Amino acid sequence: MIFDVIFRNIHLLLSGLGVTFQIFILAWIGSFLLGIGLGVLRLSSRKAIYWPVTIYIQTMRSIPLILVIFGFYLLLPIITGKSMPSLVSAVISFIVFEAVYFAEIVRGGIQSVRKNLIDAGYSTGLSYFQVMTFIILPQAIKNMIPSIVTQSVVVFQDTALAYVIGVKEFLRITTLVNVREVRSIELYLFAALVYFCICSFGSLLARRMEKRYGG
Amino acid sequence: MLNYTFDWSVIWRHPYGGWLLEGILITIQLSILAWGIALFLGVIIASLRNLPQKWVKAVAAAYVETFRNIPLLVQLFFWYFAAPELLPYSARQWLYQNIEPTTLSYYTAIISLSLFTSSRIAEHARSGFSSIPKGQYLAAFSTGLNTLQVYRYVIIPYTIRVFIPPLTTEFVTIFKNSALAMTLGVTETTFMSQRIDSYTFHGLEATIGAMVIYLLISLSVSGLMGFVERFLYIPGLIRKR
Amino acid sequence: MSKNNTIIEIKGLNHWYGNFHVLKEINLETRRSSCVVICGPSGSGKSTLLRCINGLEVFKEGDVIINGKSVSQCFHNHKELYKLRSKFGMVFQHFELYPHMRVLDNITLAPRRVLCLSKNEAEKSAMALLEKVGILEQAYKYPANLSGGQQQRVAIARALAMNPDILLFDEPTSALDPEMIRDVLKVMADLAKEGMTMLVVTHEMGFANAVADEIVFMEEGNIIEHDDAVTFFKCPKSNRAVEFVDRILVHI
Ligand SMILES: Nc1ncnc2c1ncn2[C@@H]1O[C@H](COP(=O)(O)OP(=O)(O)O)[C@@H](O)[C@H]1O
Ligand SMILES: [Mg+2]
Repeated sequence: MIFDVIFRNIHLLLSGLGVTFQIFILAWIGSFLLGIGLGVLRLSSRKAIYWPVTIYIQTMRSIPLILVIFGFYLLLPIITGKSMPSLVSAVISFIVFEAVYFAEIVRGGIQSVRKNLIDAGYSTGLSYFQVMTFIILPQAIKNMIPSIVTQSVVVFQDTALAYVIGVKEFLRITTLVNVREVRSIELYLFAALVYFCICSFGSLLARRMEKRYGG
Repeated sequence: MLNYTFDWSVIWRHPYGGWLLEGILITIQLSILAWGIALFLGVIIASLRNLPQKWVKAVAAAYVETFRNIPLLVQLFFWYFAAPELLPYSARQWLYQNIEPTTLSYYTAIISLSLFTSSRIAEHARSGFSSIPKGQYLAAFSTGLNTLQVYRYVIIPYTIRVFIPPLTTEFVTIFKNSALAMTLGVTETTFMSQRIDSYTFHGLEATIGAMVIYLLISLSVSGLMGFVERFLYIPGLIRKR
Repeated sequence: MSKNNTIIEIKGLNHWYGNFHVLKEINLETRRSSCVVICGPSGSGKSTLLRCINGLEVFKEGDVIINGKSVSQCFHNHKELYKLRSKFGMVFQHFELYPHMRVLDNITLAPRRVLCLSKNEAEKSAMALLEKVGILEQAYKYPANLSGGQQQRVAIARALAMNPDILLFDEPTSALDPEMIRDVLKVMADLAKEGMTMLVVTHEMGFANAVADEIVFMEEGNIIEHDDAVTFFKCPKSNRAVEFVDRILVHI
């Protein structure tokens, strides 16, 4: 094994990693925000809100991400009438898919806030929206931080799936370099190592926080 | 909206319907096999992490960290494209000559899925072990039970109760994860849906059809496991209390 | 007592949790500036009653009239409901301070967000309240760094910050160590002396005896006895109340 192949192609590989991070950040922000919305809505007592949101969440949780990616890749050109960059299509898929996992975390977090604490807010005359914004969500998010970090690691791992529709992210670039260089051991080991370092850092962080916030 | 006429018949029309059925069969085979192996490996690894020897603990922990923190897709590619290169030349020669490429990719998928899932199961099993309050041991021993009885009647039922629900989740998850095997050309459900796309250009319908298939599989698996859960732990636990 | 001196009027209040009848045909009138102690065994519906009074619980039957305004009318109008609640202060057994906010922010949250006071104004009156409950020096700490008694006094200050017409206390001293109970009860007694209308769920019969104008004894969702404090302690009418008071007094 000689790792010169890595150094020779480091620019390419790094650009792939850049795209991976770009997907990750966009997907993370989008799915987190959508997840908060869905999580809050899922606690609604109105059936017209509760059921559609619940069905959406349960459906997404039951199907593979890869199918969602293919689905949007095929669907977007049909509804927009023009071809979409595969990166955009991938990011949309990630947002729509990962949001439901964040939603479940948010729901759990909100439910973990003591009922009397919420009443304390209401009893001073705060509105539902104010109680949600100033009391429940800050509390809930603090309780949820370890799960959020863990889920973020999953999102990061999942970005590799953008490979299947040809997004030039890290894994796709690695395979492309391999096609040219035919050095699969070094290249895939390197890819595995990079993902490993980033994801274990995230996992470590999650564990630290779990200890700190009493998990 | 562009003028796109849906043709849902690609889901059942000959030969596409047959393809999907074949895909479902392979999805189920792949998932159940991998889940069985993963459960076995996972419980062993979790037990190793409970042993007093430091180095055993460290090895088991490294195993879990490695397989958990590398994306499944990367693991698949590693085992499929890179791992055979690590074999001696003659062994590799034998492998490629005597084993069909499709069989090879099928088994690679099983190995990757099992290793990936086993690390997650090991984590669940471990938190099952560690969630037992110390007081449970004390209370059980203080009533004069021997070690075997303490485990048999108190600790293991407790562990199983905590362990079964995440196990169910992993079982549902492995069906979804098995879809990644398509990237190696394993002809499971997702692969078939995309093959229909390349033959008919009606991939959207096929993809949605495949989604419904996974949805049904998930529902049946959760239903089944819900039944198993009720059967397994409620009688034991209620008596215990 | 003249009619317009009534601040809370509960008329035929009934409430159920599922099939469980928690409050049974409750009728109660409270005069302005009086201190009413509500006692009774746990599970008798005391907390639920308080929560119905400030509209935290959407009760099923009957009505509560606050200052001539019907609570059940507000159930259909969120704005009105929020306005109604802001007329109350509520203090809980477990304080329920917002753990992610400093003491000062706990107190100023509602004045700033509901009354739209400026940060400065809100903080100035918050400081005055903290001084009143005797913990001015804790203003910039987080709740977790305060003792139970201090936390409860912050909670009282928070309730007072909205200039409420009525204060509701739900077992405010039950979670406190004995030596801290006194500080909290002292603050409450002072408030009563100043003429605050107070409904206090408590088992502190010493406080009830010294401060309360009226005592309400509840059991299984009914008001068994409602007397002025002197009568209640001298010659209670119902056997259950006698038993309960005896048990509690012995316990103290
Ligand atoms: N949210 C609820 N859902 C169902 N039952 C409740 C709920 N809150 C209280 N209860 C029941 O109502 C009864 C009265 O409760 P509560 O008003 O808290 O009593 P108290 O404060 O006098 O101890 C209890 O039996 C309790 O179990
Ligand atoms: Mg109570």
